[in-house]
Formats: sequence, C-alpha cells, structure tokens
Amino acid sequence: MPRSPSADVRAASATQRKAAGGRSGFGRLIPRLPILGDLRLGRRLGWVIPVFIVLVTAIVGYNARAIDQQRGSALVVYTAARQRAFVERYTTDVLLVVDGFQADPEESGEDVRGPVDVLLDGGSVRAPQGGGQRVEIAPASDWRVRRKLEQDRRLIDELIRTGDRLLKGGRADPDYDANVTQLRVLSAQLSSVSNDAVREITQQTEASLSRLVRIGIGLGVLGALLALAMGLLLRRAGAEQAAQFRSLVNNSSDLITVLSPDGTIAYQSPSVERVLGRRPADLVGTALGNLVHPDDRDQVIMSVTELAETPGATASFGCRLHHEDGSWRHVESICTNLADDPRVNGLVLNIRDVTEQAALRKSIGDLLHNLARRSQGLVDRQLELIDELERNEVDPDRLDELFRMDHLATRMRRNVENLIVLSGVDQRRRWSESVPLREVVEAAVGEIEDYSRVLVTGIYDLTLAGQAASDVAHLLAELVENATSFSSPSTRVDVSGGPAGTGYVLEIEDHGIGMSDAELAEANKRLAEPLAADVAMSRMMGFHVVGRLAARHGIRVQLRHCWFGGVTALVLLPAALLGSAGERPPMAPPMPAGVMVSPEPLLLASSWESGWQPRAHLPLGRHAAPAPHRGGDPDAAAEAGEPFE
Amino acid sequence: MAWTRARRRWAWALVLVLAALAVAVPLTVARRQEPAPTGTPVNVLLEDFKVREDAAVVPAGTVSFRIRNQGPTTHQFIVVRTDRAPDKLPLQRDGLTVNEEAPGIDLLDQVDGLDIDDHRTLSLRLAPGTYVMYCNLEGHYLGGMHATLTVR
Repeated sequence: MPRSPSADVRAASATQRKAAGGRSGFGRLIPRLPILGDLRLGRRLGWVIPVFIVLVTAIVGYNARAIDQQRGSALVVYTAARQRAFVERYTTDVLLVVDGFQADPEESGEDVRGPVDVLLDGGSVRAPQGGGQRVEIAPASDWRVRRKLEQDRRLIDELIRTGDRLLKGGRADPDYDANVTQLRVLSAQLSSVSNDAVREITQQTEASLSRLVRIGIGLGVLGALLALAMGLLLRRAGAEQAAQFRSLVNNSSDLITVLSPDGTIAYQSPSVERVLGRRPADLVGTALGNLVHPDDRDQVIMSVTELAETPGATASFGCRLHHEDGSWRHVESICTNLADDPRVNGLVLNIRDVTEQAALRKSIGDLLHNLARRSQGLVDRQLELIDELERNEVDPDRLDELFRMDHLATRMRRNVENLIVLSGVDQRRRWSESVPLREVVEAAVGEIEDYSRVLVTGIYDLTLAGQAASDVAHLLAELVENATSFSSPSTRVDVSGGPAGTGYVLEIEDHGIGMSDAELAEANKRLAEPLAADVAMSRMMGFHVVGRLAARHGIRVQLRHCWFGGVTALVLLPAALLGSAGERPPMAPPMPAGVMVSPEPLLLASSWESGWQPRAHLPLGRHAAPAPHRGGDPDAAAEAGEPFE
Repeated sequence: MAWTRARRRWAWALVLVLAALAVAVPLTVARRQEPAPTGTPVNVLLEDFKVREDAAVVPAGTVSFRIRNQGPTTHQFIVVRTDRAPDKLPLQRDGLTVNEEAPGIDLLDQVDGLDIDDHRTLSLRLAPGTYVMYCNLEGHYLGGMHATLTVR
C-alpha cells in the first residue's frame, strides 16, 4: 500500500532525529558529555542526569533540614528543662520568704514565665553554650505540643497566684497549709506537664529524625544505584566508542602510524597489511626511514625532525613507501606532533596511499607533454618561416604585420612551454656554459609583446649557471609580461637588480592598478607552493609556471605592493646559480626605453640544446591595450581580448 | 488507537499502583479497628486533672473501661480495689503520689502513657466492692484526678 506524503515526512523527520542522536523531549536539553566525545547521551542516559540532580538536591535539602531540626530540638529541650528548674526555684523562694529567709520570688516568678512564652510564641533565649549569646526558637507548631505548653502556662499562672497568696498571708493565714499543699501540687503538676511536653517534643524529633534518616538512606541507596547505572552506561558507551574507533582504524584505507621520539614506529594500524602488505607487528619497533624510498628519505627525515621540535604542530609531506612485493607506493602523509599528550607521546602520521592518483597525474602530465611537444615543433617551424619572410620583406607595412605574427607565434611558443613545465616532465633546455645575467634578462624582455615599455637598469655584470638560464628567462618573461599586461600602456615597467644577502635580486616593477591583499596573498601562495597539474591550476597559470620554474633552481619569487601603486615582483637568485664575469660594476648605465633589446639574434641562441630561441627581430613602437584588472593570468586576459590583441 | 511501548509501560505502572492500594488500604483500616468490647462498658474520660465516668455503679463481672484521654497532658489510668475514700488513699514519702503497696490497696491493673486523644480499652473481671480509678503522675492525684466505681 502506498504511504501518504505526510507519513513519509514523519518518517524522514524521525530518521533525522535518530541520526542526530535519537533524542527527543527532555533529552534534547542535555548537552553532550565531553567525556563521551561524539557519543550522544541520547535516550539511554538522558533520564539519569535529571534524576541524579533531583536526588542530590533532595539529599542535601533533607540533610540541611535534619541538621536544623536537631539544633532546634536540642534548644527546645534545653529551654523546657530550664523551665522546670525555674519552677522549683520559685517554689523554694516562696517558702523561704514565708519562713523569713532572704529570697526573691518575684524575679524567679518572671523567670518561670519566660521559657514557656518563648516555646509557645517563639523568641530568643540565652544560648546553651553561654557567652551572652542568644538564639532564636521558632514557635511550636505541633498541636499536641502547643496544648501541653498552654496547659503549662495556665498552671504557672495558678502557681504564681498561689505563691502570691502565701507571700501575702504568711503563716498566719488560716489557709496557709492548704496553700502550701496547693503550691507543691502545682509545682509537681508543672513538672509533670513539662516532662510531658519535653517527651512529646523528643518523640516527635526522634520520629522526624528517624524518618529523615530512612529517607536519607533511601535516597543514598537510590543515588548509589543511579551512580552504578550511570557508571555501567558510561562504561558501555566508552566500550562502544572504543569498538567504533577500532573498527574505523581497522577498516580505514589510511594508515595511522605513531612514531616515538626516536623515530621508531610505536604503533601501526592494521590497514598497513592492505596498503603495504606488511603485518603491523613486524613494523613496530623498526625505523620509519627503512620503508621510505632512498630519494625521499632525506626530505622525510628533515620534515619529521623539524616537526618533532614543535609540540602540537602539523606538517604534510609526500613520499614513496616500500611494499612487501618490492613495488613503491606513493603516499601523502599528515603528521601531527602529539609528544605532549601522555596518551600518545609521539608523532601521529595519517598516511594515505595516493599511488593511483600519482599514476593518473603522471599519465595526464605525459599527455600534456606529448601534445605540447608536437605543438612546439609546429610553432618552431612557423617561427622559422616567419623569420625567412621577415628577412626577405622590404615593404614596411608587410614587415610590421610579419612582426605581429612573429610575436603571436612567440607567445604561442611560450604557452606551449608552459604546458611542458606544468606537465611535470623535466625536459629542460640545457645551456652548457654560464650566460651573462644581463643577456638572460634582455632575452626575457624580448619575449614579450610590449618590450618597448620595459626599462632594464642596473643589472650587475654577473653570469647565470647554464642549466638555469633558460628557465630563468622563461620565469622573467612571464613576470614581465604580467607586469605589462596589467598596467596601463602609457606606463613603464622597470626591471632592475641588486645584491641581496649572498644572492642577487631582480625587481620587476609596474605602475598598474595593483592587486588586493587577498589576490597578492593567493598569488604568493601559488608562487611558493605550485600545485600539481589539475583543474584549479587553470587560474593563475602563469604564477604556477613561475613557481615551478623557481622551485627547480631554489629561486624565491615574491610579489609586493608598490608604495606608489602597482606591483613589484622580486626574484631572488641564489648564489649557487651566480658567477662573476670579471669586475662587478657598481651599477650598469640605464638603458633607454625601446632600445633595450638587441635587434640581432642573441648569441645565446646557438648554445640551446633544443627548442626555444630568443627572438631576433623585434617590432618596435607597439603598445598593449590598458589592463582592466590584474592578478589573473595574462593568457586568460589575452583570450578575453585584452590587453592583448 | 495503537498502544505505543511507552503508553503500555505507563498502563502497567498504573495497574501496579492500584493493586498496591487495594491491598494496603484494607490492611491499614483493619489495624485501626479495636476489638469489640465485652462485658459492661464504662466510658472513662481523662483530662487535666479529672477522671469522669458515665456509670458509678456496675454489676459484677467483666467490666470494659473504654478510656479516652482529652489531655492535654499525658495520663495514666490505674484501677485499685480499696475501702478507703478516693481522696484518702495513702501517699508515698514524696507526698505527691499514691502508695499502691500500702495495706488496703489492691492494684488490679493500669494503663500507662495515654497521650492526648488516645483511646484504650481495659477489660477487668471485677468482684463486688469499691474501686478507685486515678492517675498517679506527680501532682495529678492530689490535683483531683480520681473517681470511684461501685461493683455490686
């Protein structure tokens, strides 16, 4: 039978409630217990806590009441006992005065009235412990006690009246004997009534205390049972949590490894059997480095050693681990230093097998590389053809068009080279000898369309290691093109250099609209940590390429805001790449705009092993359109129609 | 209407409570019922400091004293056989309580600790004679708390 929509909604709502811990009603008000972690108290423990709170409150309340009642009862008994003593003293005082002795029955008569008035109506009496302190007594509330105390008061009145008659008539009074007897009888009756009142109060107190004790014991037993139940439930919850955790760890595709401070494996999750074909017991006590590929070992040891110095820190690294069958598995590891946690006392590595992803990435890289290589060959042939045409052309208009074609082809070639860089295949053009740094910079400037806006100044007469020359030129070309693309065509882009520490820094400074702080941070991140080839890389591709090229040679590239607007790109060439070409001039003379690049093919070109050559004949006097924004990729901007044609 | 598990549990709890009440109430009521008096009933009322009875002369045989203390003080109820007048019973040395061991005093029975509003029944087989009923707490007898019963 089909279910109604409302039934489905109810069922879905119930499922959601169940998923959220299955709590309803009062249970929802109860917060999670931190000791249970992710386990919600839910239906099983929800009722225990309010009952426990009520119980503890009841026990505390009853104890407070019992203590107060005990104190009050002791005071009442004490006061009643004092009243009996006062009656006896009054009787004695009256008889002494009648017999001619010194006494003060008037004062003792007042004393007799005091306690019973206080017991009946409430008030303060002298504290039993003395010291002049007074304590409050509440009025008697039980009707039996009140009736007895009222009788007590009537008898006291009668006693005082009888005493007065005796004091007034003395021995000469014909009713003297009857009055004395009456005084003694009343005194005895008062004693009896007082005793009775005290007994009644004591009995009631005993009954009340007995009740309180019974209730207290009951509450205590109940509390103990609840505590026991709660303990059992907590234990069960803990066991469930532990089982859940064990199941998660055992069935996880990730490895969980705990490294002790000396670098040996202290714990290895069972999933290692699935990932590396090794038994956890075989790995515990061995050094992690034994599993790591020799090429990755230094990097892993360095990462782990650095992390071990900072408790609480986290680091990530990739490496290859040795499988039992002899193969190498690519893994990515997130490592957290929990040396300060006494339950762990080591570094926790969460290791994920990414061999398949690595293989996939490599195949994509190979594909990219193959396509790029084919395109590169075609573009090179196209450039050769354009070169020939340029040499033979005498018509200035046609020559100008050929120059434009030449530049577009050059840009295409750099795009193709970008793809090769991003493919991850290291097929660099080698330069056998050191190359003057100035020529590398000029070659980079010659690569871009708006070369005439670039002013190169103050490049020291240094040489750059041959193996880095091609990549540095490419890197600089990307940065210079970015600078020209995202600044107004009417502004200049300055390229300058100077020593910095043990290296040499090149500055590419534009006067464009600049970048926001967020854009700058993002670009610097890409420069420092170039991503693997993926979809996200299509944004800011130029920065990825620069980042990769820089990483190959230990070059640091950073973008900064210019104080007058625009952006400065700093390229720090490490000393290892640099050499001296004779005397270092204090500062090379500035080159005038528009004539910075040699009109002839650069001599460097003859030494390239393959592929790219800096362009020889560069068109002059052309300007790019104004840039609407920056921070993106120049190629993307070009495809959008601006600032390139 | 479908019975949910919780509703069924509450129903069971209600049934158990009702069953407990059904057992407890009759037992409690039964404990409060006093045995039916046998013999000649004499209603005795105790109060500070008097003994009142609704019959001064009863036939010999079993006499059931149905005692009630109106208080407010706790009292005793003592029955002695004596030929003495009720206010002339011999006293102890303290001069405040009756000496029940004195010659001419035959203590038959007594009920102690009658608190305010207490009811008690005392059945005695009484032979013809004069009996005095009193309370012997200090000062009570001398305060006038006694009465006479004649059995014929």
